[in-house]
Amino acid sequence: MLSSAAVAPEAQGDPAASEAQIFARYLVGRMPPADLVERYRDASRAIWSAPAPPGEEALVAFVLRHPWAVGPLDAITSVLHPSGQLRSKILTMAAVLEASPAFADEFLPRSVSRAALAWQLFAGGAAASVQVLVGLVLLPIARRARA
Amino acid sequence: MTDVIVVGSGPGGLHAASRLVQAGVRVVLLDFGNRDDRYAPLIPRRPFSELRRSDPAQHRYLLGDRFEGIPFGPVRVGAQLTPPRMHILADAPERQPVDAPSFAASMSLARGGLGAGWSAGVFPFSDDELDGMGFRVADLQAHYDAVAERIGVAGNHDDLERFLPPSPSMMPALELDSNAEVVWQRYQRARATLNARGFFLGQTRLAVCTRLHRGRGPYGYLDLDYWADPDRAVYRPQWTLDELLELGTFTYLDRRLVRRFTEGDGRVTVEAEDADSGTIERHEARALVIAAGTFATARIVLRSLDRYDTPVPFVCNEYAYVPTVNLGMLGHSARDRRASLAQLTAMVQLEQPRRRVIQAQLFSYRSLLTFKLMKELPLPGRQALRILRVLIPNFAILGIHHEDRPSPGKTCVLRRGLDGAPDRLEITYQPTAEEQAVQRADERMLLRFFRSLGCIPLKAIRPGHGSSIHYAGTFPITPDDAPLTCDRDGRLRGTRAVYLADGSVFPWLPPKGLTFNIMANADRVGLQLARTLR
Repeated sequence: MLSSAAVAPEAQGDPAASEAQIFARYLVGRMPPADLVERYRDASRAIWSAPAPPGEEALVAFVLRHPWAVGPLDAITSVLHPSGQLRSKILTMAAVLEASPAFADEFLPRSVSRAALAWQLFAGGAAASVQVLVGLVLLPIARRARA
Repeated sequence: MTDVIVVGSGPGGLHAASRLVQAGVRVVLLDFGNRDDRYAPLIPRRPFSELRRSDPAQHRYLLGDRFEGIPFGPVRVGAQLTPPRMHILADAPERQPVDAPSFAASMSLARGGLGAGWSAGVFPFSDDELDGMGFRVADLQAHYDAVAERIGVAGNHDDLERFLPPSPSMMPALELDSNAEVVWQRYQRARATLNARGFFLGQTRLAVCTRLHRGRGPYGYLDLDYWADPDRAVYRPQWTLDELLELGTFTYLDRRLVRRFTEGDGRVTVEAEDADSGTIERHEARALVIAAGTFATARIVLRSLDRYDTPVPFVCNEYAYVPTVNLGMLGHSARDRRASLAQLTAMVQLEQPRRRVIQAQLFSYRSLLTFKLMKELPLPGRQALRILRVLIPNFAILGIHHEDRPSPGKTCVLRRGLDGAPDRLEITYQPTAEEQAVQRADERMLLRFFRSLGCIPLKAIRPGHGSSIHYAGTFPITPDDAPLTCDRDGRLRGTRAVYLADGSVFPWLPPKGLTFNIMANADRVGLQLARTLR
């Protein structure tokens, strides 16, 4: 899970930069360089010109205040609200990271042995299940929190 | 006066024009002619995986300058169009408005038309499939061969030959990728049993130059086919346009949108709007060939004949794709040297209750972006990414087209625009429950065969009506003299010298790609017209 160190001090008070940093740390475990943060900001402007429904914004705001919650909330929304704003923003950051040479290797397909594949599937499935359960508890709390 | 005006630079227009020019006829081609000048020059001629690791400008063509390559919402028609291909559909919705609540009608105003994004599959029709058109494969064979030589076709002499006769100019097939190689080996081991059950597999015949041909190719296995056209090895109609532009008897006028035609005094007058100034121009010729794409052609014809509010039939292959896990690939590494195009084609011959073929094509998923698949999985992003990275090399994607025949629920009607608004084409597409049941049964049968080849299906995805982008049947070639149909030469009945040379003339659609057949028929229409003019 991510700690508040998922956001660099200079990004505090800049929601788009904070989102970019939290989502990048969550997806690939690394902070994005400044140019990718800017690209995420541009993409957000281009894709979400209209404000999201209040419940959706509350989830993103909750994640900004509690970066550790991004995994569980992403997990539960991937099941219950796959087209919601939080998940869309995470996928936008995934797209921005994927289309940069510094992170491309973390998205390019990788051939592994059968044992490694089985382990990845098992570990990924187990981790996702735990995240979904935590997210199930967290979702109503995050929705009620202030946006 | 010009001999022939051709409308549209898609597969039909350019192959009709090519044959006419070859016969010494003076041709003017009217076209809107959108092109991609933004992204194509940015894409390096390097293997996809290499440029992903090295090109700092990749985000421009992978995501788009306006982030148009990041789609949200359900999978829809055109999802396979990457930013460098999106110009193919640009401007059409505004210039050619359509009302189609349950149907995604893709139209193109691009140079090359919808063919500029063609997946390059070459599937000549059989005699069964030309049923009702008044001619047979023997009548089309010379045109199949002429077009195959013009565009460059690569293929193998394999089990598909019983469905797809070879062309004399056929080049060696592309190399299979690792994924398809495993499926092919399994097929070879079970071939006799599978053939006895009516299942045949072969390498997809493709409009690709595997050796140098007419200044194009050879194919470089850069895995860039969704993004760019390196060495022009994969055929696009605009390559034929480039050849025609070298000839003195051919004139290309772009930025024109044809509105209507009239006939009189032994000539055809075509009214076209200048796309930039909005002024109306008139062009005259002895004959007119319309190949603007099925729906755009319907708009021009119905407006010209003042047949507003008159329903005409149309057909469209229904389409589904099914991601499968290729068990034979588990634990094996995949080669980077590969093509993104279809690797294998499966055909199943059915005899009951009537003789027909069902068909699927097998692709790998390597050169599209992983985040698009993450969107489809009900998993948190972090886990989805980790799982997909190791699963993608084992993915084989089956693309399944279904045949389509006219029925009362499939029509289009032109409605007059009021108060200066543009006319609107109203499209209704409601296949019957029986048709849909047959499609599901066909899919199940194909998946059973692929399961026996080690491909375990995950989920059938149906992007919706219209997603195949194969449209046809609005003014079919028929032997009987009915209004709003075409005669054997492609001449629109009720006109003296107006010919149709796109999908409009095919009365129904077999479960195969249509494009190569449009080209061959356009070549035939061009030859017949050249003889008539002489």
